[in-house]
Amino acid sequence: MNDRGLVRSHQGFTRRRVLALGAAGTAGALAMLPWPAAAQLKLDITQGNVQPVPIAIPDFSGGTPADTEVARGITQVITANLKRSGLFAPIDPAAYIEKISNIDAVPRFPDWRAINAQALITGRVTRQPDGRLRVEFRLWDVFAGNQLTGQQYFTTPDNWRRIAHIISDAIYERLTGEKGYFDTRIVFIDETGPKDRRVKRLAIMDQDGANVRYLTRGEDLVLTPRFSPSTQEITYMSYGQGDPKVFLLNIETGQREVVGNFPGMSFSPRFSPTGQQVIMSLQQGSNSNIFVMDLQSKRTTRLTDTAAIDTAPCYAPDGTRICFESDRGGKPQIYIMAANGGAAQRVSFGDGSYSTPVWSPRGDFIAFTKQTPGQFAIGIMKPDGSGERILTSGFHNEGPTFAPNGRVIMFFRDPGQGASLFTIDVTGRNEQKIPTPSFASDPAWSPLLQ
Amino acid sequence: MKAGWTISAIGHAAVLAWGLVSFSTRPLNATPPESLPVDIVSATDFSQLTKGVKTAPKAEVQKPLVEKVAEPKPSDNPAPKVVEKKPEIVATAEQVPPKPEPEQKKPEPKPPTPAPQAKPEPKQREAFTKEEPKIDPIAEAITKDMKKPDPKPEKKAETPTPPKKPEPVKPQPKFDANRIAALLDKREAQRQSVTGATLSQHPSLGVPTGSAASLTQSEIDALRARIQQCWSPPVGLADARDLIVVVRIRFNQDGSLSQDPSISNLGSHPLFQVAAESALRAVRRCAPYSFMPVAKYDVWKDVEVTFDPRDMFRG
Repeated sequence: MNDRGLVRSHQGFTRRRVLALGAAGTAGALAMLPWPAAAQLKLDITQGNVQPVPIAIPDFSGGTPADTEVARGITQVITANLKRSGLFAPIDPAAYIEKISNIDAVPRFPDWRAINAQALITGRVTRQPDGRLRVEFRLWDVFAGNQLTGQQYFTTPDNWRRIAHIISDAIYERLTGEKGYFDTRIVFIDETGPKDRRVKRLAIMDQDGANVRYLTRGEDLVLTPRFSPSTQEITYMSYGQGDPKVFLLNIETGQREVVGNFPGMSFSPRFSPTGQQVIMSLQQGSNSNIFVMDLQSKRTTRLTDTAAIDTAPCYAPDGTRICFESDRGGKPQIYIMAANGGAAQRVSFGDGSYSTPVWSPRGDFIAFTKQTPGQFAIGIMKPDGSGERILTSGFHNEGPTFAPNGRVIMFFRDPGQGASLFTIDVTGRNEQKIPTPSFASDPAWSPLLQ
Repeated sequence: MKAGWTISAIGHAAVLAWGLVSFSTRPLNATPPESLPVDIVSATDFSQLTKGVKTAPKAEVQKPLVEKVAEPKPSDNPAPKVVEKKPEIVATAEQVPPKPEPEQKKPEPKPPTPAPQAKPEPKQREAFTKEEPKIDPIAEAITKDMKKPDPKPEKKAETPTPPKKPEPVKPQPKFDANRIAALLDKREAQRQSVTGATLSQHPSLGVPTGSAASLTQSEIDALRARIQQCWSPPVGLADARDLIVVVRIRFNQDGSLSQDPSISNLGSHPLFQVAAESALRAVRRCAPYSFMPVAKYDVWKDVEVTFDPRDMFRG
């Protein structure tokens, strides 16, 4: 017994030593690699803080009192844009320590660090001899102490809001790495009057609710307006006398025309990504099918031929596929097929019915309205139908439309008295109401203005 | 028939009997497997085994490697403490006189502890060796060690008085309450050895990654949590899931940044600059990291942080 115990302990000793020697050998081999500057401690950061980034936007400086007024307006628009994005938290100007007087000088960064600003925007508005405005801005990284970007723009004085939006986009893109969406417009249906006799007018405004313009006078009922990729034209459905028809409206000229001349009603139009075609539904008996019309040749092509209601067609951003709504399986669901027709594949399989699909300009999601008993929800899913996520739900939410960068969705919500417009991030956070003069529905977000 | 029956019966009986005999004599013994010794080495032990730079030159041991150079303080009385230990040896020597005859004492412990037979045997052997004229110092040391545990029970049980006598002898240095101060150890504090004359410049055998100062998981987590808190990953990274930024941070002892943090990997992605800036901003914004333990500064003075937003935007 004793002997065996001794042997055992001896064995144990050798094994342990072998292990130790092996480990030490490995360590020695590693140490011999030409790696003298390796840090000793390594950390992985896989989670960040999704808090909005604190940003300081002191008023742009202006020469004359009139310029100062414009400069302040530009600052306010930029501040409001960045704040509404949910990704930035503009710091209260009362907390600012340094007063920026000359934007060509380097700011005193410790003063801005003290109020925990991560970025600082300085700017100046000056008037050119020809009466145009010159707007400059600089974006500073406060903690690094360097300039991230700086631009100057020239414009007519009454166009200062667009300059503010363009600057907002530049800042947004530089700090988030994502294209902005501030220099865009919204077309929507403005609703006034009592509930039983609503006057519905086609209206257009900046994405922040400013500069509202009415495009129709309200004698006809208008629905589902959509922007063309050029942002110069709108297609929508209107019915005055007779059947509802799809119209095309040029914003600049006010010129209006019917798209195609079909028997029966045509509805839910949408432009193709090139702007050369309009895809829409045509009523045929008690069914409807999807057609596409080339705006140049006026040639119409049928894409579906079923004994079901196929409607609300929408192109993928690359124009190769189409998503649409169909009740061929019983309840309305979302289907996808090739842009030139053919077999359709159902992608939505959840409870309830799905309608108004719209493809993200980024191609990564399809947004939809999902109806379950007593609930209308706005949701997104991947184009293959996976990863369905409800962003908001309630009594009545409908009609999602994507911002050009695909990060924000606008929709309308009607709690009962009347509808208004809301935006929400694709993450489901940061719901914001968009100010409109009266009730508003059926929004459509334009691409970035040219 | 009968003959057939008989033959059959006998044949069967024979087979059964043969079976009984032959199988019963060879029981199916499972051969006991050779037991393997298993040493459980904890992760800490193992990682500490790997510490050290094997190829490093062996450092001269005299000068301790330090982070701070202090002014050399000459000590007033560099008397070695060994001198003070002498009286203790004397005290044991006083106890020794009763043990000049080891043989006599050995029989004494035997009666109280008869059970362990193994122990008496070596004692006897030692006793024999001691009888030999030549005194083996090792054996003596062994016997001393053996004795030490034994006399103690003796004192308590058998001879309570003899050990008491040496005790009254001890207070020979008369205790004077008024001269307590004289008893104080007036030598310089030994701690001054943490500072030294030379800074450690090169890794010596085992020292630079010595495991004595390894950060605990919670200390690492504190640093990680702090940086995470300060990092606002740009939303644009949601598209670029493989966009990873590695930042090298060098700290001062007070937790401030000794150099501006630098990016130590390359990225060709158009968003890499935005991602890198956000990571650098996080590191700069969090400074100073004053919560880091100064004692383990050696471990965290140089940190490499990998910013990986992939998990954030999943789903």
